[in-house]
Amino acid sequence: MTLIPGRIAAVFGGRRWRSLAPLAVLIVLCVLIAIANPNFIELRNLVRLANSAAVPLTLAMGLTFIILMGSIDLSVEGTLSVSAMVVVLLAANDANGNDYGWWAVVAAVVAGTAMGFVSGLIQTMLRIPSFMATLGMWFIGLGLSVYMLSGSAIRLNDASIRDLALHRFLGLPVAVWVAFGAFLLAAIIQYHTKLGRHILAIGGDEDVAKLSGVNVTRVRITAFALAGFFFGVSGVLAAAQLGQSHAVIGDGRLFAAVTAVVVGGTALTGGEGGVVNTLIGVLIVTVLANGMILLGISPYIQQTVQGLMIIAAVALSLDRVRLRIVK
Amino acid sequence: MKDRTDLTLSVSRRTLMMGATAGVAALAMPRVLRAQEKPTLVTSIRSLSNPYHAVWKTGAEAYAKWAGLEHVTLVSEGNSEKGIADIKAMLAKTGGNMVLNSDPNDTPDARPIVEACAKAGAYVVTQWNKPADLHPKDFNPNYVSHIEFDGIASGKTIAEILFKTIGGKGGIVALGGLISTTAAIERKKGLDAALAANPDIKLLDFQVANWKSTEAFDLMGNLLTRFGDDIKGIWAANDDMGSGALEALRAENLAGKVPIVGVDGIKTAVDAVRTGEFACTVTSDPFWQGGMGLAIGYNAKIGKFDPTKEPPEHREFYGKAVLISHDNVEEYYKTNVDAKPEIDWNDLWGRVTGAIRT
Repeated sequence: MTLIPGRIAAVFGGRRWRSLAPLAVLIVLCVLIAIANPNFIELRNLVRLANSAAVPLTLAMGLTFIILMGSIDLSVEGTLSVSAMVVVLLAANDANGNDYGWWAVVAAVVAGTAMGFVSGLIQTMLRIPSFMATLGMWFIGLGLSVYMLSGSAIRLNDASIRDLALHRFLGLPVAVWVAFGAFLLAAIIQYHTKLGRHILAIGGDEDVAKLSGVNVTRVRITAFALAGFFFGVSGVLAAAQLGQSHAVIGDGRLFAAVTAVVVGGTALTGGEGGVVNTLIGVLIVTVLANGMILLGISPYIQQTVQGLMIIAAVALSLDRVRLRIVK
Repeated sequence: MKDRTDLTLSVSRRTLMMGATAGVAALAMPRVLRAQEKPTLVTSIRSLSNPYHAVWKTGAEAYAKWAGLEHVTLVSEGNSEKGIADIKAMLAKTGGNMVLNSDPNDTPDARPIVEACAKAGAYVVTQWNKPADLHPKDFNPNYVSHIEFDGIASGKTIAEILFKTIGGKGGIVALGGLISTTAAIERKKGLDAALAANPDIKLLDFQVANWKSTEAFDLMGNLLTRFGDDIKGIWAANDDMGSGALEALRAENLAGKVPIVGVDGIKTAVDAVRTGEFACTVTSDPFWQGGMGLAIGYNAKIGKFDPTKEPPEHREFYGKAVLISHDNVEEYYKTNVDAKPEIDWNDLWGRVTGAIRT
């Protein structure tokens, strides 16, 4: 028995068509929304779309590498809140006298990277599955932020850091350029470095990778640190956008990031997909959220629509027939 | 493959055991029991990670210091079971010689909390959440009072100020809280009531940002695309969402041009009222809630008043919300932000605005 989406895909040429499915979903979505509300393709709206995609895109870049390895990183929200906390507390703010300017940004990204590095160490050295290791790091990060911010929201007053969100370069907020830079960096790592190929190999079959001489431990730790780096950058972007930091600044971002990665066609089982897929996934999720407002869909059913879209996108993009077990 | 799995399991089990041992040791270590005559004041709240409850705790500590009593804060972390278990543990430890001021994590939690307190002889005041059929008078004298704030009134007050600020006509958008919560439903009712009384104001769209500034930020960008310059004002069911919307406006150079109103009185919002980016915010004053809840319970406990003889509007009442608008923001800032607020802790019923609607 072949599943219906699989059959449809087979008619159009099987695997090749399927790998393009997320892109097709994105295009169809854009066309439908544009027909219903021409405001959608206004330049101003496209800029807004890019702006709301900036943080999720940077986050999802980091997460993609982890999911490609067949692992999961649940520490997204914890790491993001630590990084946002560090940048706000070290730059000019309304709670203490610090004013380290861009060093605060560097410190925040380093803090994010360090959190990821620790996740990697815990996973490989203590041999705790990534699910549990990063779950622990999530709460550690959150607890740390709550403690350092003593539960309140702290304003970011450093104008040059806020310019990440407020200043525009060639019509786009700087945050969008940063996110785009993150994408380019991730793409280079995945397609043009040994690390990228090793991550993919581990996701495909860890034992085979090991036998082929891949230092699995080192690759895993590096990948988690890399993910932490991207989470750190997005923490800075989030703090710059909101002009403040509070412990729950990351709320809901984990789910959004995982959704974007999976909708883009990267398999949770690892070894399939990549950062380009994730870019499309992030755009699908962002366009969908934007479109639902433009179409005036009631907030009471928006989540339902989102759920349906996720199922549809995954059903189209993954080759269910090849999966022997579904769990 | 198999070896590795076994190793992982055994290590994680050992780690777990070590963690558990450390936890037990930590529990056993602090606070040696002392026989004490003065009751312990206990605050039970949801978390310390939001500004609202952080201020609540400061108020509770201010009162405890003023009254010269020992004070303990219990945090449920959004876990009802933990909230109730912690309270029961405190009851056992103090032998019932305590006063509890609780913001129950969830509505049904209030019953087991009140029952446990009544059984142990402790005095309890609940705030915000309780089942409709649970009444202080059914647990005399231990269940002293239940305090709420009228969400309909808050939603309506801020809406009216918003309408006045934009000159009584034009379009607005509204950002609601988590759909299923009482506060979100009531505040929206207040907005609807104000809209009904002002036919020249058009509600362009009502959207839900789940109380969060991050969601409001993205949502506001999208709403700007759909309605553009037709948006003359923004009504937010809490300040956090309002401040998210404000940052979205700022990214488009619209901050200060489109007034925002919110509820809660968080510092960001108070600052924004000062700069004119917010038209107003209204607060239940968590500092007062944290201190006065304990004060009411403590005064009943030491016999300053007899709960059974108090009128119904002292047993289940709406507290008075404090409005912070352009007119009083400087004064509010001086007394509440720059300095710790001064509250007359003897004035137990000064902020009663009436019995809770049933």
